[in-house]
Amino acid sequence: MGTREAGNAISRDIAVVGWAQTDMVRHTDKSETQLLMEVITDALTQLDLTRSDIDFTCLGSCDYITGQAFSFVSNLDAIGAWPPKRDSHVEMDGAWALYEAWLRLQEGDIEIAVVTGSGRSSTGDPTLIYPMEMDPYFLAPLGADPLTFAALQARAVIAAGIANERSMAEVAMRSRGKGDVDELLATEYLREPLRRHDVPPITDGAAAVVLATGQRARQLVERPAYIAGLDHRTECHNPSFRVLDDSPSTRIAAEAAGLGDAPIEVAELQAAFSHEELLLRRVLELDDGVLVNPSGGALRTNPIMATGLCRIGYAANHIFGGGNRALAHATSGPCLQQNLICILEGR
Amino acid sequence: MTRFVESTITFPYKRSLGPVVGAFMTALTEKRILGIRNGNQILVPPMEWDPTTGAELAPDFIEVGPVGTVESWTWVPTPSEQHPLRHPFAFALIRLDGATTALLHAVDAGTSERMVDGLRVAPRWKGTRVGRIDDIGCFVIGEVPETEANDTGAAQEPVQRMDYNASITYRNPVPAATDRAVVASRNHRLLGLRCPRCERVYAGGRGYCPIDAVELGPECEVDLPNVGTITNFAIVTPVSYPGQTETEPFVRAFVLLDGTDVVIGYSPVIELPAEEVRVGQRVAAVWASPAEELDQEGGMGGAWGSLLGWMPNGEPDVDDPDLVNRIF
Repeated sequence: MGTREAGNAISRDIAVVGWAQTDMVRHTDKSETQLLMEVITDALTQLDLTRSDIDFTCLGSCDYITGQAFSFVSNLDAIGAWPPKRDSHVEMDGAWALYEAWLRLQEGDIEIAVVTGSGRSSTGDPTLIYPMEMDPYFLAPLGADPLTFAALQARAVIAAGIANERSMAEVAMRSRGKGDVDELLATEYLREPLRRHDVPPITDGAAAVVLATGQRARQLVERPAYIAGLDHRTECHNPSFRVLDDSPSTRIAAEAAGLGDAPIEVAELQAAFSHEELLLRRVLELDDGVLVNPSGGALRTNPIMATGLCRIGYAANHIFGGGNRALAHATSGPCLQQNLICILEGR
Repeated sequence: MTRFVESTITFPYKRSLGPVVGAFMTALTEKRILGIRNGNQILVPPMEWDPTTGAELAPDFIEVGPVGTVESWTWVPTPSEQHPLRHPFAFALIRLDGATTALLHAVDAGTSERMVDGLRVAPRWKGTRVGRIDDIGCFVIGEVPETEANDTGAAQEPVQRMDYNASITYRNPVPAATDRAVVASRNHRLLGLRCPRCERVYAGGRGYCPIDAVELGPECEVDLPNVGTITNFAIVTPVSYPGQTETEPFVRAFVLLDGTDVVIGYSPVIELPAEEVRVGQRVAAVWASPAEELDQEGGMGGAWGSLLGWMPNGEPDVDDPDLVNRIF
């Protein structure tokens, strides 16, 4: 029953069968645990499942954003972990939690997993928190911040002819569904060559995705979004050692996930900065026939730790709606350091 | 309206530097910049391994710069408190003479109009250098390195460690259930919440049942007894760390409230010396007086509000060997 062979390992049929997300807002009054309680309930209810049907959970969140050591322990309150459950956590976007759940389901002894990503970015000041996650010897003491790294990558991408300030503004306008390119280009630089429209909003929110195996997936929904390929790769942590007008880790992950096996119709890319979408399109060789980020992407809402997982959810929506093949991309670290590619298929 | 509390967390890290980064930092105190050889490349800052293959590099250091060329830059019009300069500056990728990679650092250019790829820049050294990347305060335009006044010279010993104090301020919402528990504590009431599904009772202002994952509102509130039994305890011998106010060994006890399943953990005991605490001991809640409530350090804090801790109520001990297992 394998779908893709890698060495001697045979992947089982594992599919996204449903997902939910909270309201995506600049500032929520709810705690992260409350966001998760709500979103897990929403994801399960639409499938007529309850928490007792879940065989495995994997939560993606970040203590640095929450401001509390072991914050994922209180998040466990949202999964109803009694009697004791199989559970795991990644200090990464929920897309990597999905990767772990997909691996766990390969073992074949369980059928249903729930994966979440959650973050309350408004709890702290992202511009002061992220520099502390950089290289502690050479970057953090300088306060090297995400806007600076993004601006340096944008310059490299522009210099390579992959983007220009106008095409970046067009990405921003299309993602947000509003604005006028000439007006946007008349605004001040935030970090040259980036203007406010090129950078993501700060968003609080959470998402939950339900995975199911083989027969169970088909029982739960008419058209499961089967995971045809899933891979992630990383590069050197310090952007000054990388080629910034390329994303080799994205390219390798896409090849390993089988992007080239058949055409895709939709690509959901975790491009928080406008130039990242243009670079990723180039690296993934997406032509104009591929619909990119119909959701609006990370430029519209950017719930850190859930943004990548939402890409997989939106790509699954394309399959649920009758589509055949879609790509979801998630990223982590400065200047697209680590990249995950998930190919979803209807059958 | 939801109430928010602000808290600042400080992480006083002391990082060991190892043979490669340590050599680089030591050289900075001597106003020298070291790269490391990686085949035909000279990596700056030096790494212990090849950034592409991960292969370990031999400690073959080469002095580079200190003058270099701007390869790329971005302008920071509004510096943050973490940035090296208080006024607008450029962050630039600077290829130091002799290096094959670029170093990220600040350039004090005055205005963005002066920034251009190919610009030659030189370090402005701090007068007091401790072996950190910001011993270079920033780079300045030109071919001539500068040093701030009062040059205190190079490090006497090789630099093996660096301090990095991370500090973050957070603003967290206080759940309504927590606030209601605090208000009840002012009237010396211990508020519990009973889950309508599983009937378990929770204390401490937790606004949901973790078993059934449902929210517990005011309609679920119940009053809990002020009397209980110590199930287990620890005697903590304090060690010194930032923020630690205790100096003598102190007790933290777990108290099972009468007629319930509720254990209140990690509670102080009052008028009860550490050597006299026992499993099975009967205790009653001690509440802060209005005057004591002004002193936030005194009580258990958080949702416990005015609850200061527990003291013996004079009743005979409970003899139950299973008690010791109850800490939750």
